[in-house]
Amino acid sequence: MKYLLAAAALGLLFSPAGADEKKDPPPKTAVTYEIPYRLTDTKHVMVRVKLNGKGPYNFIIDTGAPALIMTEAVAKKVGGKEDKGWMTFDKVDLEGGLSIEKPRGVAIDMFQLKGMNSMGLAGVELHGVIGYNVLARYRIEYDFTEPKLKWTPVDFKVPDPKRIVDKGESQGGLEMIGSIIQMLSAFSGIKPNFEVHPRGFLGAELAAEEKELVVKSVLADGPADKAGLKAGDRIQTAKGKSLSKPEDLLETVKKLPEGSRLKLNVKRGEDTKEITVELGKGL
Amino acid sequence: MKKILAALLLVPLAGLARADDKTEVKEAPKPQAVKFELVPSGHFIVKVKLNGHGPYNLIFDTGAPATLITPKVAREAKLLDKAKDKPLIPLFGMMGQVKIKDFQVGDVTAPGVSAMILDHPTVALFSKEYEKKYGSIEGIVGFPFFAQYKMTVDYAAREMTFVPNGYKATDAMQDLMQTVMNALMSKPEPRVAAPAGLWGLELTKGSSDDAEGVDVKTVLAGGAAAEGGLKAGDRILTIDGRWTDTIADAYVAASYAKPGKPVTVIVKRDGKEVKLTVAPKTGL
Repeated sequence: MKYLLAAAALGLLFSPAGADEKKDPPPKTAVTYEIPYRLTDTKHVMVRVKLNGKGPYNFIIDTGAPALIMTEAVAKKVGGKEDKGWMTFDKVDLEGGLSIEKPRGVAIDMFQLKGMNSMGLAGVELHGVIGYNVLARYRIEYDFTEPKLKWTPVDFKVPDPKRIVDKGESQGGLEMIGSIIQMLSAFSGIKPNFEVHPRGFLGAELAAEEKELVVKSVLADGPADKAGLKAGDRIQTAKGKSLSKPEDLLETVKKLPEGSRLKLNVKRGEDTKEITVELGKGL
Repeated sequence: MKKILAALLLVPLAGLARADDKTEVKEAPKPQAVKFELVPSGHFIVKVKLNGHGPYNLIFDTGAPATLITPKVAREAKLLDKAKDKPLIPLFGMMGQVKIKDFQVGDVTAPGVSAMILDHPTVALFSKEYEKKYGSIEGIVGFPFFAQYKMTVDYAAREMTFVPNGYKATDAMQDLMQTVMNALMSKPEPRVAAPAGLWGLELTKGSSDDAEGVDVKTVLAGGAAAEGGLKAGDRILTIDGRWTDTIADAYVAASYAKPGKPVTVIVKRDGKEVKLTVAPKTGL
C-alpha cells in the first residue's frame, strides 16, 4: 500500500504531449507578484487559478511537468478552446493578482491527481498542475517560512516542450496506479471530504496579563456578550484545558465550528464562574 | 489491513498545512547559485552528490513531495545498507527509504535529506531520452531538499539560488500514510478554517450566488472591521490578495491575517472597488 501511494504521489513528474509552434509573447513588466500558496497534506505547493474567470481551481506548481495541465472536466467547464493540440483560454488568473498572458495548456486527466483525489490525500481537490510553459516566464521565489510565493516576469521566449510520451501512450506502467488507488478507495469505503467549515465566533478581544488570559472587551450582541462574559474577566480554562494567553484559547477552539458549545471557567474579581458560550457565526 | 493501520495510527491530522509550521528564524547568509541544464521537454537537471559520491544527474521537481534515487546510485553511494523500511515485494525496485547525510546540489549541501530508493518508470523514461547527451538520470530532487531553503528558480538564466530558511519539513510519506489511516478509521471530517484574529464581522452568501466575493451581513461596533471602514452590504472580493468567493474562502484568507498586522481588503461598494485596510485584533 505504502509503495503504491509512494509511486502515485511522488512523481508528479509527467511527460505528456506538446504542440510544435512558438508564439509565447515575452512579458513586458518587471513587477513582482505575491502569490498566496498552500502546502497540501501531500507536500505539494498549491496555488489557486481562475480559468476564463471561472473557479478558483487548485493547481500544483510542478517543475516536473512540461506545461499547464488541467483535467478534461475543468477545461470543458471553463470553455477552453482546442488549438493544434493545445487548450487555449482567454484569461488565466492566479490568486494574488497575476494574469498570465495568452496562456496555453493541455487537458489530460493525470493519473497522479486522479489517485490523490479519490482518497482526498492532498486534503484539497486538485484540478491540475502548472508546469514549464508557464513557470519559465517568471523568476519564482519559494520560501515555506513565508505565506506567499514571489513571481517576477522575465524576458524569456519559452520554446514549446518536446514530447517524450504522446498523449494516450504509456508512462512505463504508472498509469494503472491512479486506477488501483481509485479502486482501493472505493473498496475500503474512503470518500474524500473537501469541505471547509468556518470556525465558531466568540466576539471577545483578548490579552495576556500577568500570565492570565484576560477579556479586553466584548463585542456588543456577539456570542460572548449574550453568554454574559464581561471585559476584565480572566478565563482560566476552556474545555477543561488551562489557559494563560490568547493563543492558548485560539489553539483549543481551532476546530470548533459554528454552533459548538464552549465551556469556560472564568474569574471575575474574587468569584469563579462557569460560562457556556454557543459559538456563533462571524469572525 | 485495517487493524495494522489502526495500530500505527498517530495523531489526528491538523487543518490545512500552514506555511509557518515548524520554523526557526535564522540570520540569512548570501544566496548560493546553482546552474541547471534545461532539457527540451521543459524539465531541468541538476548535478547531485550523495555523501560525496557522484555527481549524478537528477531531475529537479517542485511537484515531488519526496526525493528519489535509483538503486544503482544508492549502491554506489553505499546507502543500500542504511535503507530502512524495505518492502517485501520490491515494486518498481523499491529498496526502502534512506536519510542521506550530505545531499549536495551544485555547491549547496543540505544535511539529512531523506530519499526513497526506487526505479521510477518515468525517471527511466527520461534517462533513456537524455542519456546520450547528458548521461543517465538517477532520480528526482523533491520537497525534502528544497523546503530547507528560500529558493528562486529562473529558467531564463538557467539558475537557482538557495538560502537556508530554517524550515523543518515533516516526512511526506509518513503524513500520507497517516491521512490514509485516518480515512480508514473514520469518516473524514470537514476541515475547520480558523481566523487568526478578531474582525467583528458576519458574512453571508446566497446559495444561488456564484459571482465573485462574499457579502458583509453585519459589522460589530468597536471591532477591527468597523475601525477599518467595512460596512454592512459591502462585497468583499479579496483579503490580503486572497480570493474570498465563498464564506469558507474568506475564513481561510482570515486564517493568514495575523492580529495587529494591517491587511488590504478590497470591497465592492455601490458598484465601485474600494481598498480598505483592516488590522484584526487579538481574540476570536
